[in-house]
Amino acid sequence: MNALDLDGLLTFWGRRWDDILELVLQHLAVVALSLLIATVVGVLIGILVWNRPVPRSLTIAAAGVALTIPSLALLALITPVFGLGWTPTVLSLVFYSLLPIVRNTVVGLREVSPAIMESAKGMGMSPAKILFAVQLPMAWPIILTGVRVAAQLTIGIAAIAAYVAGPGLGQFIFQGLSSLGSKNALNFALTGTLGVVLLALVVDGAFVLISRSTTSRGLRV
Amino acid sequence: MTVTTETQAIGATRAAEAPARPRFFTWRRFTTPIVVVVVLALLLLWVSTLQLDSIEQRTLNWGYITLRVGEHLSLTVVASALVAVLAIPTGILLAKTRSATVRNVILAIANIGQATPAVGVVILLAILWQTGYTTALVALVVYAFLPVLRNTMIGIQQVDANVRESARGMGMTPNQVLTRIEVPLAVPVILAGLRTALVFCVGVATIATFINAGGLGDMIVNGLKLQRYPVLVVGAVLVACIALLIDWIAGFAEDLLKPKGI
Repeated sequence: MNALDLDGLLTFWGRRWDDILELVLQHLAVVALSLLIATVVGVLIGILVWNRPVPRSLTIAAAGVALTIPSLALLALITPVFGLGWTPTVLSLVFYSLLPIVRNTVVGLREVSPAIMESAKGMGMSPAKILFAVQLPMAWPIILTGVRVAAQLTIGIAAIAAYVAGPGLGQFIFQGLSSLGSKNALNFALTGTLGVVLLALVVDGAFVLISRSTTSRGLRV
Repeated sequence: MTVTTETQAIGATRAAEAPARPRFFTWRRFTTPIVVVVVLALLLLWVSTLQLDSIEQRTLNWGYITLRVGEHLSLTVVASALVAVLAIPTGILLAKTRSATVRNVILAIANIGQATPAVGVVILLAILWQTGYTTALVALVVYAFLPVLRNTMIGIQQVDANVRESARGMGMTPNQVLTRIEVPLAVPVILAGLRTALVFCVGVATIATFINAGGLGDMIVNGLKLQRYPVLVVGAVLVACIALLIDWIAGFAEDLLKPKGI
């Protein structure tokens, strides 16, 4: 039993400001790194399968199934091979990010209208040129929405990864658990949880800006 | 003229339905359970070849494993049932309120709730209240409540205004419109929300081990702590299989319970 003590929480924040900031940055770094890898891999997979019906439905079904696997189970399964810390964290975050990214890449590439593809062909563009100069820029806003969904997902999962010594705010949450009964338990857990929520909201907002600045100028409305 | 078009329309829908019927049972529909059975068989085979030490023997036996699986399933199923009973009526009530502010505030809360990490909710509840099964159950319900609530509200709200108006025009009372038109049309969206909630619950029930609520998370955490990888692997694979099977059953139920006309 532990009641909230606001003064105590504020002093806790004042005293540990450096730690909190470092954990926030770690959390952000691990999520950003995973998203970067997942975007590259996911878009590549999407490019490979988008116009082949059987691999496409297989990939999307497999990714959908993969997403149901509980994160603690996956993290635990890969620790015997990859040890503790950053490696299993990044790997599992990439794993969970792939579904939304691959799915949205496929949807985005397929949504480019056949008329546009044909005009590109008529202008003498090679298939590779069409892909990079026409299809990908047009699909980008949809792909980015997939990355945004993945970001929300991974920010939450990264909190659990602290259990396998992963970086980030999850460490505070688990420190709260391990100091259960002490005065600071609630402060630790509350700071960690609130930090994750705030981070998720800020990142979600940042994606609006990213999407505005990286969308091809002709597509901006 | 109208008669012919009508018969054509009916014929057309029948023709469209005809191939849809036998497609209900296909190999594809049973891929998941087949994969799960194969994985479990391989797991059993692998464990039976291992020389287990005394610590491993204490957890890798049928009694212990069925107990943990039972705990895990009971947490998941009880929490999901509670969520269904609580969140669906609330969602229907909220969708029917006149005040748009109430709805928007609830949807905003639901969005923030989705950004909240499950570990945080579970551990905070344990610190503020107590550890154990009941706390885990409450945390699961709190956590799975929002997606179901949101899907129910969205499902009811997305019903086409024209459909609603035609129902009114046929002389239905507002309650009849709700129970005979809006709710059935919202069922697919509501069921999708429940399916998400079920899969969520399997995952969050794994975390319940941190607050002494049992479940298969116990095996994962013990395996990690004691460096007994067979224990860890068995726990993790079992949880993954349960998640896959529950998602599969929910998908099956979704197809069965969907109103026939949609």
